[in-house]
Amino acid sequence: MDETKRLLGQQEEMDDGEDRKNTQRGKYMTFKSGPEYFGLEIQYVQQIIQYQSITKIPETEDYIKGLINLRGKIVPVVDVRLRFKQGEYEHNDKTCILVINVKDSTVGLIVEQIAEVVEIKEENILPPPTIGRGDKGHNKYVYGIGKVGNSVKLLLDPEKLLYDEDTSDTEQIKRVEEE
Amino acid sequence: MAGDFNTESMLDMYLFENTQLLEQLQETVLEQKDADSFDEDSINEIFRTMHTIKGSSGIMMFDNITAVSHKLEDVFFYLRESHPDNVPHVELVEHVLEVEDFISNEMEKIRNGDPADGDASDIIADLDKFLNMIKNGGADGGAGAPENVHEEPKHFYIAPVASAASRFYKIFIHFFPETEMANVHAYKTVYALKEIAEDILYSPEELLTDEKCGETIIKEGFRVLLQAQCTEEEVRDLIGVGYDIEKVDVFECDANQFLLGFDFGDNEPAPQIDLESSVEVIEAKQEAAQAQEAPKPAEKKPETPKITPGDFVIQSKEPGRQKKLAKDKPKGEKAAFISVNVSKMDQLMDLIGELVISESVVLQSSDLKVPGLNLDNFNKAAAQLASISRDLQNVIMSMRMVPLTNTFQKMNRIVFDVSRKLGKDIEFVMVGDSTEVDKNIIEHISDPLMHLVRNAVDHGIETNEEREASGKAEKGKVTLSAKTEAGKVWISVEDNGTGLNRDKILAKARKQGILDDSKPDSAYTDKEVYQLITLPGFSTNEQVTEYSGRGVGMDVVVQNIQAIGGALEIDSTPGFGSIMSLKIPLTLAIIDGIVMEVGTSSFVMETGVIKQFIRVKQDMMIHEPNGDEFVMIRGECYPVIRLGKWYGLEEYQESVEDGVMLILEVEDRKICLLVDNLVGEQEIVVKPIPSYVKKVRGLSGCTQLGDGSIALILDAPGLVE
Repeated sequence: MDETKRLLGQQEEMDDGEDRKNTQRGKYMTFKSGPEYFGLEIQYVQQIIQYQSITKIPETEDYIKGLINLRGKIVPVVDVRLRFKQGEYEHNDKTCILVINVKDSTVGLIVEQIAEVVEIKEENILPPPTIGRGDKGHNKYVYGIGKVGNSVKLLLDPEKLLYDEDTSDTEQIKRVEEE
Repeated sequence: MAGDFNTESMLDMYLFENTQLLEQLQETVLEQKDADSFDEDSINEIFRTMHTIKGSSGIMMFDNITAVSHKLEDVFFYLRESHPDNVPHVELVEHVLEVEDFISNEMEKIRNGDPADGDASDIIADLDKFLNMIKNGGADGGAGAPENVHEEPKHFYIAPVASAASRFYKIFIHFFPETEMANVHAYKTVYALKEIAEDILYSPEELLTDEKCGETIIKEGFRVLLQAQCTEEEVRDLIGVGYDIEKVDVFECDANQFLLGFDFGDNEPAPQIDLESSVEVIEAKQEAAQAQEAPKPAEKKPETPKITPGDFVIQSKEPGRQKKLAKDKPKGEKAAFISVNVSKMDQLMDLIGELVISESVVLQSSDLKVPGLNLDNFNKAAAQLASISRDLQNVIMSMRMVPLTNTFQKMNRIVFDVSRKLGKDIEFVMVGDSTEVDKNIIEHISDPLMHLVRNAVDHGIETNEEREASGKAEKGKVTLSAKTEAGKVWISVEDNGTGLNRDKILAKARKQGILDDSKPDSAYTDKEVYQLITLPGFSTNEQVTEYSGRGVGMDVVVQNIQAIGGALEIDSTPGFGSIMSLKIPLTLAIIDGIVMEVGTSSFVMETGVIKQFIRVKQDMMIHEPNGDEFVMIRGECYPVIRLGKWYGLEEYQESVEDGVMLILEVEDRKICLLVDNLVGEQEIVVKPIPSYVKKVRGLSGCTQLGDGSIALILDAPGLVE
């Protein structure tokens, strides 16, 4: 909890501001989901809020948990664990909502635990391993692996994270068929 | 343009101001289209509008707009000066509207970032012809002195052609503060410069007629724009620095800057000196023009457009006219309205929404529920807060409301155009045009309304001959009316023409195979028959005219109206005309809704579609083998939707006896909706469901409730489908 508060403070310091993009380069917000740590480029992160009650929307994908009210703005939230098919889990007081801004749409990500903001130099980012071919598991959302000291963070592509490749693929096929 | 200007915002301003001017112009013109001639105020106003547009377009270098407005200004100048009495009024109205269209069109191009490349020469030629015609025709009435005056423009408007050797100067002369009669000194300078000048312009202009301008000259300096074939030194020599002149600044500039005139801002317009007339003539003209005027430069500031060389004749009349106009148009008008960016209004609306929610979060805080607290003072303060925030909500809502006047005015124009083209004599009546509607809605109804009005004029109302033949004495009449009723706005277009032909519509529908062949014609009610014309591709008019008959239109009207939650009702009396009524919500942003719960979820349903709430008994239910359910209420059978089951929600009431039935009615179709319980009625702020979430059937949006939670808004037509 304290960690969250500290990060909330940190977040405020960083705040938005386009001109800060340069200083944000190479910085990643990392969080834990399942056993792994993931990283998201800090420029996408708008803010971190504590977990709050979510209004469910019927007939949507199960990883879309519903809507929250972010100071008058209605924001859909996605559960990262469910998105990564890591299974349901109990929300606790470490559970946070990471509000990100991708392609003009604002989406909340439910993450198990916020870690820290780290700087990862480009030379420390490796392409993801391509063992086993095929896009199994969460690999399709990961565009690189960042080394920080002894640990590794899986770096996420937020667009792919939000817009499921599977569905877009099938949609594309459908569209082609229709044409 | 000089690079350091922020042309972007200037352009915005230009477009904004001129759009307003044109709208006003059109209103003025249409108001008097049926009169015999324009009254003096309107002539002045049109003249002034054209002059302003000409001036600002000149600055922005939209030459074609400048040329057209200039020409129309000429025409109205003549009208104003010579009062010819045999002007063909309708033709004049058409000319004005033509110019207005041209300029609007060009401005639209500019707005879209395209070059304003319209060809104005036809319009200008037409106007020239028209001007000559009224001049010749009005020779007996307008002979004499005024004739001379209006001859002048031709003479003056041809700005001296700058030869390659010409150079342009901006000259600022500062006189010593103690100089007496600085105006005379200034005049002396002008006189000296005239010897070399090809074109000269100075400010203040009334050097010899207005003694007070001497003070202005001392305070603000004397400014001259000079076009001449000489060097800066020669200019300085001519002006000379003597006992009276403190300082002379001479700046060379290019022709464009020169044409912009001074950046006077707060000064009187300056006339161009006519090089071929003697000074005396000019003085005489100025005196004549300003004989009755008591110049108070400050008063005229707001309306003084920037001028360019070549405006002399017009400008010299300006002061007297402006004073009159200043009386007509109280200054308060400017101060009473400001234009605000709509996005800022939306932001304010959002903020107020948040405020309301935070308020209820505070007032319902669990900290207050500790037993034994004395909350009397708190409750008083809370009540006060609640009333203020309610007022605030009302104010922001009223700020978004705009009268329909402008929209209706546009229709006036359409009636005028179409009826002229078709040779029909039609009276246009507007009722209740001050009815206010949310801005978003106005944007959506303009096109549909245009279709309806056009239809009414084109094939609603018969030709003059047909009317005579059928013994209709009165003139063709189109009435556009608006009223607010039961939280909806009704806008109706009524004509006293033939009305809809039931048999014709039915025959056509049969031909197109729209109708059920087994059903006889008589089985369809009038209302059903009339609704047929809203189907795509349906038009009873055999002949396609320029305005209607293509069969697109009515279906588009209906689509557009439905998109904003409205409906179209058609009524008609054969032989006596028809009424098309649009029923639209007052606002899109806030609706009255009933909040209800199903399981752990909250939903909102628009109050208007709910006919009844009812608790039903188990034995009223009818179960079909395929799972469909119906309920019998007072002898009527309604299909049932259990919202919980429909959406697969959690923890909803299984038994109908524990829940509440809502009877919904959408376009004559009724269904029952079963929910767990009702929470209450409240005004809700409609927000779209974020686009990230794909569309869910039966949901039209979402909203925040008083406690900050989110409720989903049910879309009744969607559920009925």
